[in-house]
Amino acid sequence: MKLVLSDTALPLDFSQQADASYINLDELKIATCIGCFGCWTKTPSKCVIRDDATKVYPIIAKSEHVIYVSKLQYGGYDLPMKTMLERAIPTQQAFIRLVDGEAHHVQRNVPLKAATIIAYGNICQQEQAIFERLVARNAHNMNFASVRVIFTSEAQLETVVMEEVAAWKKS
Amino acid sequence: MEKILIINGSPRAKKSNSKQYGELLASYAQLESETVVITKRNHAEICQKITEYEHVVFVFPLYADSIPATLLQFLIVWEQHLTAQTSRPYFHAIVNCGFIEAMQNDVCIEMLQFFCQKNKLEMGSVLSIGSGEAILGTPFKVFVQWKIRQFARSLTQHRFKKYEITMPLTKKMYIKASTQYWINYGKRNGVTQAEMATMTIE
Ligand SMILES: Cc1cc2nc3c(=O)[nH]c(=O)nc-3n(C[C@H](O)[C@H](O)[C@H](O)COP(=O)(O)O)c2cc1C
Repeated sequence: MKLVLSDTALPLDFSQQADASYINLDELKIATCIGCFGCWTKTPSKCVIRDDATKVYPIIAKSEHVIYVSKLQYGGYDLPMKTMLERAIPTQQAFIRLVDGEAHHVQRNVPLKAATIIAYGNICQQEQAIFERLVARNAHNMNFASVRVIFTSEAQLETVVMEEVAAWKKS
Repeated sequence: MEKILIINGSPRAKKSNSKQYGELLASYAQLESETVVITKRNHAEICQKITEYEHVVFVFPLYADSIPATLLQFLIVWEQHLTAQTSRPYFHAIVNCGFIEAMQNDVCIEMLQFFCQKNKLEMGSVLSIGSGEAILGTPFKVFVQWKIRQFARSLTQHRFKKYEITMPLTKKMYIKASTQYWINYGKRNGVTQAEMATMTIE
């Protein structure tokens, strides 16, 4: 499975492809995580907030290739993507294991992923450096086997995404 | 005398660990303090309130290795208010993460520093807490109290510093203890360990 998860509309149509999804967060209704741990301790693997996020995290979970497209905010993901990533914790168990010597949650049925993160906007070098460190940390929690970060302007975004999607098709 | 505004940025503020960390701070601070909780609707109100304080302390959990959406949303609004204001409070933070390594908070702290720099705020003291979900229910709570006392003093004295605390356990012991913690959590909801460990999603 392949997934493009974006916080903005992109000219993508995977409707003819069974193994690829494109999700535009801007079209979905996703509330912020309330930190209730229901998805770990009450209804394991299911979020108690039954909004659009419950359709997205199963797709994130089963994808082996992901492209996340997000604007940046203070060196991290902007609100729409950050909100969704927080709502994806039903894909993990409450239980903790060591990954590279650090504590992290046990993943449920989540294959390792090759991830490409496309961060767009007016991004200074300092913000780039913070974001790269953030993504490196996320890699442990989000089961990324490999990850690449691409920075681009809003104007160049479509071109950059299209190049990445074309490279996928060849792989 | 200077005053402290403690801002709880946990999405489960009323039942949060952040609430308890904030209460400890309020009890040890030699300065007068008030606590507010970020909700969806009170952003503007808090922005206004901040102008009456010399110190703001954001108390919040680490979410997905960074700032929780609840607090991020507030910072974005506050940034707009700040452009029209000349006075700036000192910006302090108490961030707690679930995992034992307090350093898992470091990138989030860098993001806060970036926010401060961008908005011409002076970053003050930071307390980074590891195993923040569990530590208050263990005998190691005294270590947290001790660090929050130091943190409180640093505000009064304007000797800002980064503090760090976690449970002094080996990783193996931590994993064992955390497994038991979560099994008990499930049990209270009538959910077994096997059910919690389901591999199926949704
Ligand atoms: C959506 C979500 C994401 C989380 N992400 C992390 C994380 O990346 N690293 C970590 O150590 N703990 C993480 N935690 C655990 C919380 O930081 C921890 O439980 C904390 O004590 C909660 O504080 P609070 O009660 O003040 O909200 C996460 C919890 C939730 C609900």
